[in-house]
Amino acid sequence: KKKMFLQSKLSWNVVLSSEKLETEGLKLQKAIITHLLSVFAAKKASKDHGYLLAVTTVDRIGEGRVRQHSGEVLFPVEFSCVAFRMATGEILEGTVHKILKHGVFMRCGPVENVYLTHQKMKDYEYVPGENPYFMNAKSSRIERGGVVRFLVMGVKFVENEKEFQAVASLDGDYLGPLS
Amino acid sequence: MSTGEEENAAELKIPDEFLKAKCLMNCEVALILEHKYEQLQQTADDPMNQMSQVFEKSHQYVKRFSRYKNPDAVRQVREILSRYQLAEFELCVLGNLCPETVEEAISMVPSIKAKGRALDDEAIEKMLNDLSLIKKFE
Repeated sequence: KKKMFLQSKLSWNVVLSSEKLETEGLKLQKAIITHLLSVFAAKKASKDHGYLLAVTTVDRIGEGRVRQHSGEVLFPVEFSCVAFRMATGEILEGTVHKILKHGVFMRCGPVENVYLTHQKMKDYEYVPGENPYFMNAKSSRIERGGVVRFLVMGVKFVENEKEFQAVASLDGDYLGPLS
Repeated sequence: MSTGEEENAAELKIPDEFLKAKCLMNCEVALILEHKYEQLQQTADDPMNQMSQVFEKSHQYVKRFSRYKNPDAVRQVREILSRYQLAEFELCVLGNLCPETVEEAISMVPSIKAKGRALDDEAIEKMLNDLSLIKKFE
């Protein structure tokens, strides 16, 4: 059951050009790690591991292997990192950033778009205006900037954006806006 | 950051227990990311190159949604919750959402009341009390 913030162990190959190797010399280790961190930051997210946040420890750097034709050297690197995944059935808290007539969008950690449809907002009604919001009979409000505790109903990985999108619901006790 | 030698956990105030953990609470991630942020500012030639948008959004999120800020308190939370035979993800949900009542705790983590689990209402109540004490003395 892999969800929320996780510590994951990964193994990637870091490729350094022969020029880099010549100039770095004894600072080879630093060059490998620096390159790993750049590649890690650029990767953003993968379907299997979720969003990639930060490398915590570099556990092992293996022997370099020369690529015959390019002169580049490949180093296998084992490391640990913090990742973030959202899973169906999980209860999370997020911030509302967009209000539409048919639902709201929330931001949760690195996930930008968690959609909560009006139909899953038990008893909340849309209140139109310059700054629209949703409100229930007890005057509790779901509005821009507000925090909402929700249940994750489904998660999808969008390959070309390298991001996850989710669909939420308030069906359940203790779910809804928090003051 | 260097290879071979693990960063001195005590120095960083990031306890071994949760470096070894698979699931991390928001407050633990906040400590890790805050440390990373400071580290990158000091050592990297080009810190922004190594700090992704994912990092920044997550950093902001965990700072806002951490119920415990003090590193000792964070460590205590994991220690206390670890005594109750919880699955890792259950521990994290409870540490993140800090339910105030037994009903709320069961609502947030229904699996703690699954058949065969040793957690009765009394134990859950005690656990929640212990957690709120940490908050009081933070």
